Amino acid sequence: MKLHSIALAATLALGSLLVTVQAADSLNITLELPKPAHGPYHRPYVAVWIEDAKEQPVKLIELWREKPDWIKDLRRFWRKTGRSDQALVDARTGATKGPGKYQLNWNGDDNAGKAVAAGQYLLVVEAAREHGGRNLVKQAFNWDGSAVEIQVKAGSEIGAITLSKGAK
Amino acid sequence: MLSNKSRMSSEKMSSKKTAITTALGLLAAMFSLQLSAHTMTVVPSHYVQSKTGGWVSVDVSATNMTFQWDKGIPLDNFKVFTPDGQQGKVGSVYQGKRKSQADVELATEGTYRLELVNGSRFFTSYELKGERKRLMANKKDRATQLPAGAEKVMTTQGNSRSMAFITVNKPSDAVLALTNKGLEFQFDRHPADIVATEEVTVTLLMNGKPAAGVELDLSRDGELYRNEPARVHHKTDASGKFSFTAPVAGRYLLEASYQADVNNELTDKVREGFTLSFEAAMP
Repeated sequence: MKLHSIALAATLALGSLLVTVQAADSLNITLELPKPAHGPYHRPYVAVWIEDAKEQPVKLIELWREKPDWIKDLRRFWRKTGRSDQALVDARTGATKGPGKYQLNWNGDDNAGKAVAAGQYLLVVEAAREHGGRNLVKQAFNWDGSAVEIQVKAGSEIGAITLSKGAK
Repeated sequence: MLSNKSRMSSEKMSSKKTAITTALGLLAAMFSLQLSAHTMTVVPSHYVQSKTGGWVSVDVSATNMTFQWDKGIPLDNFKVFTPDGQQGKVGSVYQGKRKSQADVELATEGTYRLELVNGSRFFTSYELKGERKRLMANKKDRATQLPAGAEKVMTTQGNSRSMAFITVNKPSDAVLALTNKGLEFQFDRHPADIVATEEVTVTLLMNGKPAAGVELDLSRDGELYRNEPARVHHKTDASGKFSFTAPVAGRYLLEASYQADVNNELTDKVREGFTLSFEAAMP
């Protein structure tokens, strides 16, 4: 888990770019990674994905990780998706990121690129950090054309999350 | 006790002798009780891995409290079965005082089975002049070994195994296949999918057929640090099933035992048992 400052700078630049291209019919997700006050810091492994009402994975949005050895520590992600879909893991893998605010979005597609049916879905964010802790956030939201405006309180490894989407 | 014996007068001798024999008998009973009270446990350092080519260290011990190592045991009968269902190679082994340890390489993707076999053992119990005794013999051999006047003769064949599963990347099923021999189990999901707070149903089978009345105990890590050990007893129903819910994520031990009258040429009864250590994942 080394710090790649060039990659980090590039990601931050890309992050600010994403803010400007938010689509009105996408779910916009703001995710904050906190800076822990104590101890040695290694950037966390983070997975962000969507599950349906039956808690089955639908779409992997982001996976920030380095060595394969430690992906298993994203326990839920590993069990639900990672262990059985290497191609998807490889396709979505991005470099780990340091403390900061990140803009992500979901356009309503599943992993195969097909639009999902209207209904209730879960935004799932899981983070695990070497010498740190593990956090899991599951936040339900409606995907039916209505507006979404949800704030999720910060935890130790995952900072505040906002979900927002304009009405169609 | 023996030094007392040497100081005894001759008239007291016979009554004291009876006392000693009874004490020895009691000691033997305690010893066998202790043997059965010890639980053979096989616990890998990791149940889940996200990389092939790595290793796990496996702890094997006879324990009283779940996952508190009490006695290291020989690993001659410790086996690993690789995801293709074949027996694989065990790396370095070490027998310590409190636990034994084996290294196991996880070269390929899939599910591995670790297994310690306490092979088929026969013992015959009997009563001689009101005293319970036993000898290690099957039904065929017992006739020549039993003393004259032996009563209530009963031969039992004991089989037990201690197991754990390790899954690297995608779970696979070859090492879960039933042999239809002895006491076996079938989970309603892959062992790598046992998650805290989710109900799991297990079918117990004896020689391939659902076995009713199998006694099971489910315990979890940390007994040393709780007032209540929190062991849960289960018994399989008429269809050989029982269900449990792991309350919290962590390491668990399932112990099963089953007795049946078989009355074949080698034994009157069979006593089958197994222990399985597993982890309940975080939801």
